[in-house]
Amino acid sequence: MPIIETRDLRKVFRSVKRTPGALGALRTLFTREYVERAAVEDVTMSLEAGELVGYIGPNGAGKSTTIKMLTGILVPTSGTVRVAGLVPYLERKRNARNIGVVFGQRSQLYWDLPLIESFELLRAIYSIPKDRYENNLADFNELLEMSDFLRTPVRQLSLGQRMRGDFAAAMLHDPRIVFLDEPTIGLDVVAKEAIRTFIARVNAERGTTVILTTHDLADVERLCRRIVLIDTGRIIYDGQIERIKDEYGTHRTLVVELCEPYPGFAVEGAELESRVGPLARLRFDRRTISADQLIRRVTENYCVTDVSIEEPELESIIRRIYVEGYKDPAVPATLSTPVR
Amino acid sequence: MSALEPYVEFARKAFARESTYRVEVFTNVGSLLLRVYLLRSLWTALYRQNAAPPNIPLHAMITYATVALLMSLILEIDGTRAIREKIREGGIATDLMKPISLPLYFFSDGFGQTIFHAMLIVPSLLLALLLVHVDVPSPGAFIAFTLSFGVGYLVNFCLNLLMNIVAFWTLETFAIQLMVRWASDLLGGQLVPLDFFPGILGKIVENLPFAAVYSTPLRIYIGELPPSEWAAAIGGQLLWLVLFATIASVVWRLAERRVVVQGG
Repeated sequence: MPIIETRDLRKVFRSVKRTPGALGALRTLFTREYVERAAVEDVTMSLEAGELVGYIGPNGAGKSTTIKMLTGILVPTSGTVRVAGLVPYLERKRNARNIGVVFGQRSQLYWDLPLIESFELLRAIYSIPKDRYENNLADFNELLEMSDFLRTPVRQLSLGQRMRGDFAAAMLHDPRIVFLDEPTIGLDVVAKEAIRTFIARVNAERGTTVILTTHDLADVERLCRRIVLIDTGRIIYDGQIERIKDEYGTHRTLVVELCEPYPGFAVEGAELESRVGPLARLRFDRRTISADQLIRRVTENYCVTDVSIEEPELESIIRRIYVEGYKDPAVPATLSTPVR
Repeated sequence: MSALEPYVEFARKAFARESTYRVEVFTNVGSLLLRVYLLRSLWTALYRQNAAPPNIPLHAMITYATVALLMSLILEIDGTRAIREKIREGGIATDLMKPISLPLYFFSDGFGQTIFHAMLIVPSLLLALLLVHVDVPSPGAFIAFTLSFGVGYLVNFCLNLLMNIVAFWTLETFAIQLMVRWASDLLGGQLVPLDFFPGILGKIVENLPFAAVYSTPLRIYIGELPPSEWAAAIGGQLLWLVLFATIASVVWRLAERRVVVQGG
């Protein structure tokens, strides 16, 4: 049975239509026209316990609205939602015990108090048994290396330290599901890596289901096998990252370092993308020519000191999908159906 | 028992948080002493001009003003003020993701701050005694006063909560806050005893809910209310408490609905 299940989930926001100008402002006082905007439309998805899914979309795509409905602080306009067997908005407090939440942009820690005191407060809030609390704390302390700043007031922590604290805070009560919203935003490379390792371990060792919302696709590439892409409130892709890469990553780039400044450098079957000094970048379609063939063609005609192949990044693939829409190459003419 | 544990912990954290601002504490005590002294001078001068009502002699008036000031030290703490900030900055959403009751959270947070400030009252009172003479009530009157003050504290909390919940609908609550604060200070008997209001006006203000916060406990303290009227007076406060607690919980539910339906 899936741990998270939504069917045709929809959320329409209604706001008062504002007419510009002073007269318009006066008019909105008396007659109210409403503008309806669907933030989430027909979102149907299902997650198995223990999955680690990237929930990706541009700003305003409906990611946070979905998360809010899953956490029970927003009532859907229509459709159904179940999280660990509960309907979140009907049982907000019970649902809260099953979930943990980390917001990269907003700390949940007590600003004026030492970090450890926020943890103690959470122990009381979730009535975590003493031994489990202590085990978890010791565990997280080791994984996140927090002992140096456990007694420091949160307002004096660096962003990286604070985020580590926030992660521990969200996980202390052993939630079955955690929602991570931009958890690595603003962090340096080292801190990012520490957080990613932590997410991966919690998912693997504790079987925690993780929904990761982020703009940093390196997070997703490193952590998730499955992604759900959402745009203007609709799911446009749901499936394995590998698959999307295969389908969209038809082009590779061969980078060659030439020993001589060949002025008319060109290779049949590949497109010269750029040429900077001795470095030439050749873009090729791996369905029409293999890398091996291409390299041979280059070396037959030119003197080369070095070659390397670049794979397209997930980021550029996803950018293309947003612009072009997702088309399943296997079923051309039709619009894709989410794959589960 | 364990259902209350988070709230006990909230109160303890609020207490600890307050005590991190030590400098503020000392300046508060300092300004309090100054105000006690000013009030004494003011009332002494006013009484010389024959402004006094017949039933409150000068020493009772100075006692009234001093005790009212000490009470305000506690009653002006508003744990629900955080609601406005949380709504403006969106923190209310993360709070709703916790398995707690938010009004109770705000109450216990305010209560923790109260306990801290209440501890300051004892030394402040002792220092104040060096400046002014304060009447000491009989043990019975003191118990009745404490009880009445407790009920007034809860009424005050409900009024504060109601005012701050308004922020769910409009972020501009400052003007409303200020108006209600002035009204409750003046009509509640914090600045002047309600006996100073003439004729029918006096009758009206005595029956307004604001009187339940300051006036009733203070009238018990200075002995203006005889023991035979204590029960009725505290009963009256309790009625206001029930009324406002009911209104506040209804309005809170509406506010929560607004958040969950409209997304804040």
